[in-house]
Amino acid sequence: MRAPRDRVALLGLAVITASVLLAAVAPALAPADPVKNDLLARLTPPMWMDGGSAHHPLGTDTLGRDVVSRLLYGARVSLVVGFSAVILAGALGVVLGLVAGYYGGRIDDALMRLGDVQLAFPALVLAIAVLAVVGSGLGNVVLVLGVTGWVTYARIARGETLSLRHREFVEGARALGARDAAILWRHVLPNVLPSITVVATFSVARTIIAEASLSFLGLGIPPPAPSWGAMLDEGRNYLTTGWWLALFPGLAILAVVLGINVVGDWLRDTLDPRLERGL
Amino acid sequence: MRAFLLRRLVHAVFVVWGVVTVVFFLVRLTGDPAALLVDATATREEVARTRQMLGLDRPLYVQYVDFLTSAPLGDFGVSIRERRPAMRMVLEHFWPATAQLALAALVLAVVLPIPLGVIAATHRNGLVDHLSRLGSLFLQSMPSFWLGLMLILLFAVALGGLLPAFGWGTLRHLILPAVTLAAAPLAQNVRLIRSGMLEVLQHDYVRTARAKGLAERGVIYRHAFRNAAGPFLTVSGLSLGFMLSGTIVIETVFSWPGMGRLIVQAVPGRDFPVIQAAVFLFAMLFVAVNLVVDVLQGLLDPRARVFEDAG
Amino acid sequence: MTPLRRAILWVALALLATLPSGPGSAAPPTSVEGVPIDPDAELIVALTDDTTNMDPRLGMGSIRSNYIRQVFESLVDVDRQGKPVPGLALSWKPVNDLTWEFALRRGVTFHDGEPFNADTVLFNLDRMFRKNLDRWGIKDVAAGTAFDKVYPFVTRWEKVDDFTVRVHTSEPSASLWDILGREPLVPRAWTIKNGVEALNDKPVGTGPWKLVAWRRKDHMAFERNDAYWGAPPLTKRLRLQVIPEAAARIAALRAGQVHLVEAVPPLDAEVLGRNPAVKVVTSVQKLACRLYLNGRTKDTYDSGGKDGAFIDPRVRLALNLAVNREAIIAKIFYGLAVTNASPVATVAYGYAPQPPYPYDPARARALLAEAGSTAARPLTMQLLLPAKHYGQAFDETVGAVVEMLKAVGVQVTVQTLDFGTLLQTLTKGTLPANGAFAACRTSNNLDADDFVRDWASTTLVNWTPYPPELLTLYQSTRRQVDVKKRQASLAELQQKIREWAPVVSLYQEKKAYAHATRVLQFVPTQELNMDFRGVALKR
Repeated sequence: MRAPRDRVALLGLAVITASVLLAAVAPALAPADPVKNDLLARLTPPMWMDGGSAHHPLGTDTLGRDVVSRLLYGARVSLVVGFSAVILAGALGVVLGLVAGYYGGRIDDALMRLGDVQLAFPALVLAIAVLAVVGSGLGNVVLVLGVTGWVTYARIARGETLSLRHREFVEGARALGARDAAILWRHVLPNVLPSITVVATFSVARTIIAEASLSFLGLGIPPPAPSWGAMLDEGRNYLTTGWWLALFPGLAILAVVLGINVVGDWLRDTLDPRLERGL
Repeated sequence: MRAFLLRRLVHAVFVVWGVVTVVFFLVRLTGDPAALLVDATATREEVARTRQMLGLDRPLYVQYVDFLTSAPLGDFGVSIRERRPAMRMVLEHFWPATAQLALAALVLAVVLPIPLGVIAATHRNGLVDHLSRLGSLFLQSMPSFWLGLMLILLFAVALGGLLPAFGWGTLRHLILPAVTLAAAPLAQNVRLIRSGMLEVLQHDYVRTARAKGLAERGVIYRHAFRNAAGPFLTVSGLSLGFMLSGTIVIETVFSWPGMGRLIVQAVPGRDFPVIQAAVFLFAMLFVAVNLVVDVLQGLLDPRARVFEDAG
Repeated sequence: MTPLRRAILWVALALLATLPSGPGSAAPPTSVEGVPIDPDAELIVALTDDTTNMDPRLGMGSIRSNYIRQVFESLVDVDRQGKPVPGLALSWKPVNDLTWEFALRRGVTFHDGEPFNADTVLFNLDRMFRKNLDRWGIKDVAAGTAFDKVYPFVTRWEKVDDFTVRVHTSEPSASLWDILGREPLVPRAWTIKNGVEALNDKPVGTGPWKLVAWRRKDHMAFERNDAYWGAPPLTKRLRLQVIPEAAARIAALRAGQVHLVEAVPPLDAEVLGRNPAVKVVTSVQKLACRLYLNGRTKDTYDSGGKDGAFIDPRVRLALNLAVNREAIIAKIFYGLAVTNASPVATVAYGYAPQPPYPYDPARARALLAEAGSTAARPLTMQLLLPAKHYGQAFDETVGAVVEMLKAVGVQVTVQTLDFGTLLQTLTKGTLPANGAFAACRTSNNLDADDFVRDWASTTLVNWTPYPPELLTLYQSTRRQVDVKKRQASLAELQQKIREWAPVVSLYQEKKAYAHATRVLQFVPTQELNMDFRGVALKR
């Protein structure tokens, strides 16, 4: 019934897998060192244009670094940031949400209040302030994007836990003397996972884009390390004179994020149509 | 209802207090504004003197108590960079510039998706459906500053100045920034409404309404949409928060003289009073809008357990 | 009276009425060198940022100077070639070794009508040196430059008559005219009456432009000061428009929404130069960008017991030899920068040209080896880079330079941080032993002294203090009142500084401006501000 949707999702999955693979084998595949600069080769256009060369198929950037290599290595950074931040936020959020939902009472109150406070805090301001304190670097960016994202997961996990808390199988397990942690792990978590997975998928897409916005504000992965966001930002002053600098990372982000969104749609349709209302 | 409102109000005050306290201590962790005020050729004594003039050499708890006692009266201190009352500066930048931008974007992102999503759902796999799905996917897949720059290149340069490349003042100036800011939430809302409607349209009560001979439009809007609207409202409330955050980037790209620009300079400039005042305003707005959303949800869908203690 | 006489009387009266009745009320000129101009037009200029203050005491960085100097003026003015000319002071001269006398311009009024005279100057000097503030009843401000600390040798000032002021110093000061003469002056009675905060809101000065509207972060609007002591501006209104994004500035120019754009990035300047509807003009600036190196001894900073890694002048010289400045200027700046091996800007008073550091990586390696850097224990450098603070070309330059330093065997790690954090690190003295930072230095003053005093006292930027003989030489240049002798001393100082190499000099800025062809007679200055006197818009 949903065959076209499935095919599109398959395409999305293919794009994601391709980018992960390319990122993984980047060192073997990249034609040049992405970080070493070469002023003489600065701003070479892509090879099909005047002045381009096969040495640099997609041209070079403002410091003469090869765009293809930077795209490949940048894929590593962007994908690592995207997935790690979401895993961090997800793990943190799910644990807190499970605890809040299961134990209820004051713990629940406190955690939800904390979540509300965090949601009311403009995310970018928090990121700017924290990065100003700890300095920007791959680890810190992941930390900031991860720690600021836990609330949604916590709410979902808490919601599920609340509705499952009094179900028979849980009561039964407790009567049999099972420990809380075991109950949460064996009975509650599997029910929570589908929704979490869907949310997480969309979050990866949003995080990759958020990394680009942080670079725009000067807080992203610091140079000379390539990331798609940093490349977009470096290229934004050369839109007419060096359009290839910003176009290719922009297309890369577009392709991967599109793929992720499409897969997320499919996951949501398959795993739990009920979720459509909540997202 | 009264008890509910009271409880939510207390909760709101707590949230705002929490945000403001976190920001108070967080910015003081980012360091010392005095060093930024003096010449690069200044000595350590001058920096220390400047710090003293700003009142920043007092113990932290003294500063905090001072802040807590003056803030509710509207006194957020004097901006370190501009030497003017901080809250007045924030309000000046918020109203009308950022308010216009956020409101326009909110209208675009909340009102426009309704007909789009409904049509997409009722005429499934039709042209509107496919176009809106495709468009939504694309709009959610690019960074906002990127979209903004592309639009500037297209409308201000390639099309010969059809729309201004910068600035604030007329409706024409508002179009590009509002569209850019609204793009991602709009896309998300179209998909939300569409999927919500799709689900609801299958339900019994819709079939019943149709069987009873009600006009299609009545069925769609009075019955189906009311039930589909719940999550969309929640998300809209949350998306105001993201939008206010988004103004930080959009206002820089479009040279819009609003709060986003103020914050972008105040944070690296360590302008504590301004940062505190701005975050306070943000939090107040966010909390207020979400309160309104909660009430609306309760009104729209009495089945929702919103008025009960759902935490 | 006969009809004829009456007629003659009327004609005479009519003729008299058409005569210009005095300075300042003449109708503004309607053509310039034969080209018709629009005297009622509004000149719109796009700048990168807004100013945070209009009170000159709070600071006069390059962006703020653009706004402040339209409204306020100083004793010493600057012509388009960078030479000091009379401003609010008609002349200045030393009357003896310890006293300078300034003769003030007459007939100058502030925008609110208050007259400018010696009392104004004394009041401003009090503010600059933080004296008598209680007497005037004004508040102290957290000032940009604390004159009392930086120039402690200035002792007192007095008025000789309404238009003559004398300033006394405790030691001879050759450049006192420059030190005091470039500070914009604020009105005395107005400031006392309205308070110093009002200076920031509604500044009132003697300048060619009156501030009429200020929408923060958006624009500042000015109107021609018809009572200006010099030739009033040729357009009725001026608007300084804030457009932070470079692409948007250029787009605005191309769409005709602004007339003039400052800070055009080098590549865009080149591309725009080929556009017939746009004119690109450039001007060397005083901004010098450098890598500052930690050359302090272990007891002068938070060092953990180590001397700075760059204490040895051979190491610093080696680093200077490792940089290929020609490539940087050609490739990154497209010619819009200059090399300068002297610490003094090429356009400053007292500049003595020095031979540029050659690009000699081999010699650099040799010097490093001589100083003790080996392959097993190479010289390391932690470079602090305030990214996005000085523009993209600066960031790119530092990236390229890092590569060049690596090529001679220095192990460089770059740490990006924001400018405020950098300043804090410098204030606290927590730069690591092998630390360095990239920064640019400009000046509000005309004299070389402002550049060479960097290494004379413990300031934020001084991480390589003068050795005793250079310190003595520097102090002698400050005190030498004889012009010829001073030039010679300054030249010697600059030559010695070049050899001593306190910093790795990167480039000196050349700024590009682009304007519509409708804009006439715009000449960029070497100062931090743009000067719009004499700029007209074609009809």
